[in-house]
Amino acid sequence: MLNLSSIQTSYGHIKALKGIDIEVEKDEIICLIGSNGAGKTTTLLTISGILKPDSGDITFEGESLKNMPPHTVVNKGICQVPEGRRIFPRLTVLENLEMGAYSLNFKSQTSNFKNNIEKVFSLFPVLKERTKQMGGTLSGGEQQMLAIGRALMANPKLLLLDEPSLGLAPIMVSKIFKTIKEINEEGVTILLVEQNAKAALRLSNRGYVLENEVIKLSGTGENLLHNEDVKKAYLGE
Amino acid sequence: MNYAAVKRHPLLRSLLISLFSAILFLPFKDLKSSAILFAVLFICLSAISSVKNLQALPSLPKIKLAHPRFLRSASMPAGIIIFLAFPFFLKDYYLDVLIMSGIYMLLALGLNIIVGFTGLLNLGFAAFYAIGAYTYAIVNTKLGMDFWVAVPLSAGITALSGIALAIPALRLRGDYLAIVTLGFGEIVRLVLNNWDNLTNGPNGITGIARPSIFGTAIGKLNMYYYLVFIFVVIAAIIIRRVECSRIGRAWISIKENEIAASSIGINTTKYKLYAFAFGTFWAGIAGILFSSKMQFVSPESFTFMESVLILSMIIVGGLGNTYGAIAGAFILALLPEMLREVQSYRMLILGIALVLLMIFRPQGILGGFKRCTF
Ligand SMILES: Nc1ncnc2c1ncn2[C@@H]1O[C@H](COP(=O)(O)OP(=O)(O)OP(=O)(O)O)[C@@H](O)[C@H]1O
Ligand SMILES: [Mg+2]
Repeated sequence: MLNLSSIQTSYGHIKALKGIDIEVEKDEIICLIGSNGAGKTTTLLTISGILKPDSGDITFEGESLKNMPPHTVVNKGICQVPEGRRIFPRLTVLENLEMGAYSLNFKSQTSNFKNNIEKVFSLFPVLKERTKQMGGTLSGGEQQMLAIGRALMANPKLLLLDEPSLGLAPIMVSKIFKTIKEINEEGVTILLVEQNAKAALRLSNRGYVLENEVIKLSGTGENLLHNEDVKKAYLGE
Repeated sequence: MNYAAVKRHPLLRSLLISLFSAILFLPFKDLKSSAILFAVLFICLSAISSVKNLQALPSLPKIKLAHPRFLRSASMPAGIIIFLAFPFFLKDYYLDVLIMSGIYMLLALGLNIIVGFTGLLNLGFAAFYAIGAYTYAIVNTKLGMDFWVAVPLSAGITALSGIALAIPALRLRGDYLAIVTLGFGEIVRLVLNNWDNLTNGPNGITGIARPSIFGTAIGKLNMYYYLVFIFVVIAAIIIRRVECSRIGRAWISIKENEIAASSIGINTTKYKLYAFAFGTFWAGIAGILFSSKMQFVSPESFTFMESVLILSMIIVGGLGNTYGAIAGAFILALLPEMLREVQSYRMLILGIALVLLMIFRPQGILGGFKRCTF
């Protein structure tokens, strides 16, 4: 479904990715782990078209994304939940969700829109209780749910999640991971970036380990969980 | 203190940027205007960053305005009737002030689209006002073009110049964009001052025709008052419509969080361009109304202080609030006239009033953006 081949991306003169190959099949959950500054966020930003790769190619369902602007990438069915809960602080929860459907040109009354919003509310019942609250006044965990919910409003085929568990209490973390599984079961392919390597690998079909701007290891979630190097570096065992 | 800390601390950052620009400005201007630039930049930048960080601050005391629903729905028609009645009992002098305040309303409405909705700080808005005014002045005196033909022409040329500035300038973000627009404002004024063949330089252009309706020129002030009034009402209605459309929602999402906006599929560059084009369009309308009313234009009317005044109007009224822009323009255009008695202190009083307003009600008199009911 999504294919990155020898992608190189840089910030000015600094190379942040030195040839990355990643493959995501339909209906998979793929996780990308790596230490701070390894280039995980850069990888996601390159896929969404916010950063332009210097070389290499990205294809999605056979079509090259390489020179597509971010909004066209969204229209192709790839939605990103950016790092750090970038919600619209002075819009209400409901307005935030409505904005999520922007690319679909929904009017709030259409049944399609209602369907989507009901789906989001059933995944995150807290949001339903807080439709009129300002996004910026939600708790951190609620903001994360809102950010994910907003991305789902666009009916993505592929969801890119950048550290959804960042700064959440352990109980919230497991809740978010459970929800990611549910979203996947509804037919959304997921590419997940995580620091919480253990939980992420357990959840994923396959994983990639990003180190020093290149993919160092890849394999099924199970295999990576038992890999000695991964254990030492990312699982703290 | 390292760079990251400076970047994070909004006040410190505003201070440094304002100081830097003021020093850059020094060779071109005298010390006084540099000092003014410094003060204005500092206040505006910190006001804007504090509005942006508002949700992080403890909630501010809310001043409740006309709360009951019927009052709110009645205030608009009541306001319109009062404004319609003014010419019947006001002296010409006050009517004149009101006409100018109407022109400022158009300018504030336009700037509010760029700064208030989309969050792009523009410190050279008077340049677009000037382009609108000079377009009519030139086509009228040189080609004898009629006012009504020139209205779309002036507005169109001004909007095109807005796009022409925006295409290169929108590659810059935040404070840097503000500095470029500031520079643009000065460039336009200098061009008007020096292009003698076309603009008659510092002497300006005289003998500009008043508009005519059904073949008779509008001579009386009260007719002119109604003309401006109609333009303001039309502008407010159209702008409110656009604000509540998909375009308006895209603008607000860009201001709220640009990365989030592009992550939900909004073409941020396109909508920023729209904001510039649409905002400067109204500056063009304000410009043609101004030059046809004065029957004279000169570069002096379009200084940096004029840009600052328009910006103050939308900050006072409430950034991002269409009605706020109107209220702010009304107050700031009238206040100096009301304070005429105290002549030499009036700018001081005005300044103090602005500072106090920013301390006690940083979101402006009518508060931030007014929700559309979808
Ligand atoms: N805008 C930027 N300008 C310059 N360098 C950048 C920029 N953004 C990121 N980098 C650098 O690129 C490298 C990769 O950053 P990236 O954000 O992709 O890391 P990450 O793997 O997401 O890390 P984390 O887990 O901490 O989020 C880092 O060394 C970072 O300092
Ligand atoms: Mg990251």
